Amino acid sequence: QCHIHFGILPKENKKCHFLVCSYPSTLKGYHKPDEKTLQALKDIANKLRIHSIKETCASNSGHPTSCCSAAELMSVLFFHTMRYKANDPRNPSNDRFILSKGHAAPILYAAWAEAGFIKESELLNLRKIDSDLEGHPTPKLAFVDVATGSLGQGLGAACGMAYTGKYFDKASYRVYCMLGDGECSEGSVWEAMAFASYYKLDNLVAILDVNRLGQSEAAPLQHNMDTYKERCKAFGFNTYVVDGHDVEELCKALWHAEQTKGKPTAIVAKTFKGKGLKGIEDQDNWHGKPMPKDRAEELINDLLSQIQSPNKPLHPQLPNEDVALADLTPIRLLTAPEYKIGDKMSTRKAYGVALKKMGDASPRVVAMDGDTKNSTFSDIFKKAHPDRFIECFIAEQNMVSVAIGCATRDRTVSFASTFAAFFARAYDHIRMAAISQSNVNLVGSHCGVSIGEDGPSQMALEDLAMFRAIPTCTVFYPSDGVSTERAVELAANTKGICFIRTSRPDTAVIYDAGEKFEVGKAKVVRQSDKDQVTIIGAGVTLHEALAAHDQLAKEGVNIRVIDPFTIKPLDASTIVANARATGGKVITVEDHYKEGGLGEAVLSALGEEPGIVVHRLAVSRVPRSGKPQELLDMFGISAKSIVAAVRRTFAN
Amino acid sequence: MEDYHKPDQQTVQALRNIANRLRINSIKATTAVGNGHPTSCCSVAEIMSVLFFHTMKYRPDDHKNPNNDRFILSKGHAAPVLYSVWVEIGFLKESELMSMCQVDSTLEGHPTPKQQFVDVATGSLGQGLGVACGMAYTAKYFDKSSYRVYCLLGDGEMSEGAVWEAMAFASYYQLDNLLAILDINRLGQSDPAPLQHHVEKYQRRCEAFGWHAIIVDGHSVEELCKAMSQPRHQPTAIIAKTIKGKGIPVAEDKMGWHGKVLSKDMAESVMRDIQSRILNSNKRMYPASPIEDAPPVSLRNVRMPSAPNYKPGEKIATCKAYGMAVAKLGRYNERVVAMDVDTKNFTCSEIFKNEHPNRFIECYSAEQNMVSVATGCAARELNIVFASGLATFFTRAYDQLRMAAISDSNINLCGSHCGLSDGEDGPAHMGLEDMAIFRAIPTATIFYPSDAVSTEKAVELAANTKGVCYIRTTRPETAIIYNSNEDFHVGQAKVVCQNKEDQVTVIGAGMTLHEALAAAEQLKKERIHIRVIDPFTIKPLDAKTIIDHVRSTRGRVITVEDHYYEGGLGEAVCSAIVNEPGFTFQRLAVAHVPRSGKMSDLFKIYGIDRDSIAQLVRKMLSSSANAK
Repeated sequence: QCHIHFGILPKENKKCHFLVCSYPSTLKGYHKPDEKTLQALKDIANKLRIHSIKETCASNSGHPTSCCSAAELMSVLFFHTMRYKANDPRNPSNDRFILSKGHAAPILYAAWAEAGFIKESELLNLRKIDSDLEGHPTPKLAFVDVATGSLGQGLGAACGMAYTGKYFDKASYRVYCMLGDGECSEGSVWEAMAFASYYKLDNLVAILDVNRLGQSEAAPLQHNMDTYKERCKAFGFNTYVVDGHDVEELCKALWHAEQTKGKPTAIVAKTFKGKGLKGIEDQDNWHGKPMPKDRAEELINDLLSQIQSPNKPLHPQLPNEDVALADLTPIRLLTAPEYKIGDKMSTRKAYGVALKKMGDASPRVVAMDGDTKNSTFSDIFKKAHPDRFIECFIAEQNMVSVAIGCATRDRTVSFASTFAAFFARAYDHIRMAAISQSNVNLVGSHCGVSIGEDGPSQMALEDLAMFRAIPTCTVFYPSDGVSTERAVELAANTKGICFIRTSRPDTAVIYDAGEKFEVGKAKVVRQSDKDQVTIIGAGVTLHEALAAHDQLAKEGVNIRVIDPFTIKPLDASTIVANARATGGKVITVEDHYKEGGLGEAVLSALGEEPGIVVHRLAVSRVPRSGKPQELLDMFGISAKSIVAAVRRTFAN
Repeated sequence: MEDYHKPDQQTVQALRNIANRLRINSIKATTAVGNGHPTSCCSVAEIMSVLFFHTMKYRPDDHKNPNNDRFILSKGHAAPVLYSVWVEIGFLKESELMSMCQVDSTLEGHPTPKQQFVDVATGSLGQGLGVACGMAYTAKYFDKSSYRVYCLLGDGEMSEGAVWEAMAFASYYQLDNLLAILDINRLGQSDPAPLQHHVEKYQRRCEAFGWHAIIVDGHSVEELCKAMSQPRHQPTAIIAKTIKGKGIPVAEDKMGWHGKVLSKDMAESVMRDIQSRILNSNKRMYPASPIEDAPPVSLRNVRMPSAPNYKPGEKIATCKAYGMAVAKLGRYNERVVAMDVDTKNFTCSEIFKNEHPNRFIECYSAEQNMVSVATGCAARELNIVFASGLATFFTRAYDQLRMAAISDSNINLCGSHCGLSDGEDGPAHMGLEDMAIFRAIPTATIFYPSDAVSTEKAVELAANTKGVCYIRTTRPETAIIYNSNEDFHVGQAKVVCQNKEDQVTVIGAGMTLHEALAAAEQLKKERIHIRVIDPFTIKPLDAKTIIDHVRSTRGRVITVEDHYYEGGLGEAVCSAIVNEPGFTFQRLAVAHVPRSGKMSDLFKIYGIDRDSIAQLVRKMLSSSANAK
């Protein structure tokens, strides 16, 4: 292992120097780029600056100063270090690039203009309603794999891509992620750092653009490069501190990153916000501000004057084509579920069994967990397919980002599981996954008060509300082993984010192994000609509804019971038809808070139907510890409560 | 180490004895109720003994005494050992401990403030240290008192980024009154924790984050006493190498024992074994009394001294009105504090900062930690806290918000730049799910003010409302629609525009209320009159006003919101009016992931602008005409 120390001289001397320039084993192969190349890289950096100024002037919004600090970094990455086909940005063999500091989008667009993929004239449509060059990068653009703009999320996605490259694709593509210094305050960055070193992702390079200034004031560590270095090293990164405006230093450091084995590399680049913009460089109050119209021309001319050979084209190196095209064929269970009606098992366990079977069916299926695999039962998958399981430890934000990264370019079909409550931790990441058009599958166990004694901190009672408010999301809420297995199969083949809500208690299998399930298709589980009320429940509360049905049947009262199967989309037509058939009387019962869950989904579906009365049973306050059945009673969602609600319905 | 007095042998033995009694009670209780994490309790027995009977200064009979040192059990699943401490102190009866987790016990599976000695609920890992930061910040900078804050973390939760946000915060603000104890017991729930017993790696990480870090044997009371007595000039981390299940021979340092209770027989033999290690010592241990230097604090009756100073028609963004209102409130109460995540120039909390720099905490880009710091500052009713950021980034802290409700916290949050009105920045910055997530917090009150007057009232009401308060503000400037003396209440809607001939009720808030008013003007020219309602609070929603007015517009109602369809204003109204016969209800909201563009274009594209409202009103009227 080589020990390289880059040092920083005092601020007034902006040039960085190697304190110890010994690269014992690796320097041998390093060829310094020739002067012409170095000049061309410098020229491209200034061209990128000019584009960024023009773009943001045209849109009259955006972050040109955040682009200028990264100009040399982008130039060296895109025209010296990275290997990719500029005319085929989604080629699976390409090196990956994630702009975690998404507000520097204009310079990313400028780089692809310089690479020839987008027209220079298109750049001036930045942020316009009919342009795909949005304020922050989204995958509407072929060269963007994941949307960024919520800070601190890029590195986790990069980890997923690098893990996929190294362990699943076993390919030579590398992953580069550029972060701002402001976002290094986000804990998710350090979750990703810990993950990358734990899994020895030596194909991953994190570039930290330490331009000192945040949005409303200086970032907490300012230009304290040593502290950044110590933090990165403590989290297991091979770390170089460099002058981020020196193309030669960048070429060298990035070359060394490539030679380093067993560790990810961090390039901590000391830069200046607004670099190259006279009177603006390193000044406060320029975050997110385009250049004033009257100064833009002068600033551009100044940059132009530094460009020595405007027409020297640099072409990115081509990748090794060692990655197969993504296989997009649907993944089907090889055998039907092996459960018999009346068997007792929890849906969380059925998830583990189903996932393992999906893994049997396709090598593309991968799984991950946040150190709860013995509770979510993803360990059943792990035992069968250890090479396709990623333990993400207790870092839910990073797990979701890793899952998203693994699923990019359709390299894998990823399933990430933890307690449903703890997806609340990653809600920003899930929200961004929708903007990223991700097909990630998330599975939350231990929903609701029915987990019992562990108490409210472990109970998910807001997860349906969360996932329903994700526009691209399909929400499965299976109620037995058979439907859980089908939910997993459907999720693997459904676009967008899929969420599967599973429960802790053992419940009876209610469907025949041959039963067919579809997204958006409810099941009528109990019905007769004399039904007087329709009850809609899911998971544990469906079983409570069935118990209520049996109890009421003894009294000669018939009720209809519906299992919605998916809460989003909800099968409105089945629900409406059955509601009508039972005199317009509907009761919903859910192990969730009253807001945003099954009840409100049903209300939304019935919203415009006249003559329907809906009574909702749900948890209406912060619950507590206790035995599951006691809690179902206490919070009014048990069979007893349903029976009482049915009687009340008749009383009215 | 000049001022370190090594405890005498009797004290050391007494502390060891207490540690073993804590083990016995943790095992006994978890076996009795068949639930809990005895092995996670056993690794911290000596740590808890030394903390509660040697290091911490507090009045054991007066839990909420403001001078007491604070303790946060971040690894909340070790709750039984915390309860055992309070049995040892004599506050809880052993019989109470033996019925923990039962439906009628206030000793829950994870600590909650149902117990006086718990300030904040824990159990979602990695949240305790951020709360501890808020308490330590309060002690050092607001109370200027000598009480200290102790936080016990597990090694598993060190993987949570929130811990490192708190680490960075504590060193940045030099919280030398904060001590974190890391229980490095090697084993997580389903696997060893990633760093196993590499305590030097933990030390290096803590040091890199600006902490003084000391490695100790976590089962040596002498080492613990010594480490905890060290003088501090920066936050201190005690990295305690421990054995999970220490004292339970079959489980010590073994996988497969997380969250598992011992069988009755096994428990009895283990307890006998541990009991035999309790050596005769008559020494009773009492915690030291705290220094009484915390100032008296009252948060009662925090009022604005004067009415809002805006004139009807004047244009001002509600986000700016928020900043001005909090600054104004802060002028008349020393205990109003504010914080932000490096967005203070967007949320306008910088107006507060400029006026009250000593009561503003910059939390940088770390939303989870900001919410935890806010919760810590608000604990024991010591501060009225207003924490602001872009609305959408509260999603980052949703787990912390969920836990704030379980903690009975009274924090106030303000999310600016909601919805499409954020415009060109694009979907990453648009809060379109914030109402859904705050509505699903049982203790939350949601204010969605539509002008500067009502924003100022919302701030005043939030300061005096229990539970989590959320204020949703908007970036574009909008006209003042209320008189300065207008009275506002939680759960009371305002009818903004009304006429005897109104045919449809339209409910909007923020930007969409102004769009509804514009639609009303537009429709008036066609002699169509609509009633426009401003709900003011989305939760609780004023169902009565809404139902009354919808009835008088023949049951026709439209909601329009700058939010996704799910969980927002529309569904709230839907819930309120569902069983009203003869209502016709239509909703306008954002149905897809949006994109960058000018706000006015986006409002059109996603169908929540004045034209879309007017069109829907016409459609509703023509279809009901056809129905006749």
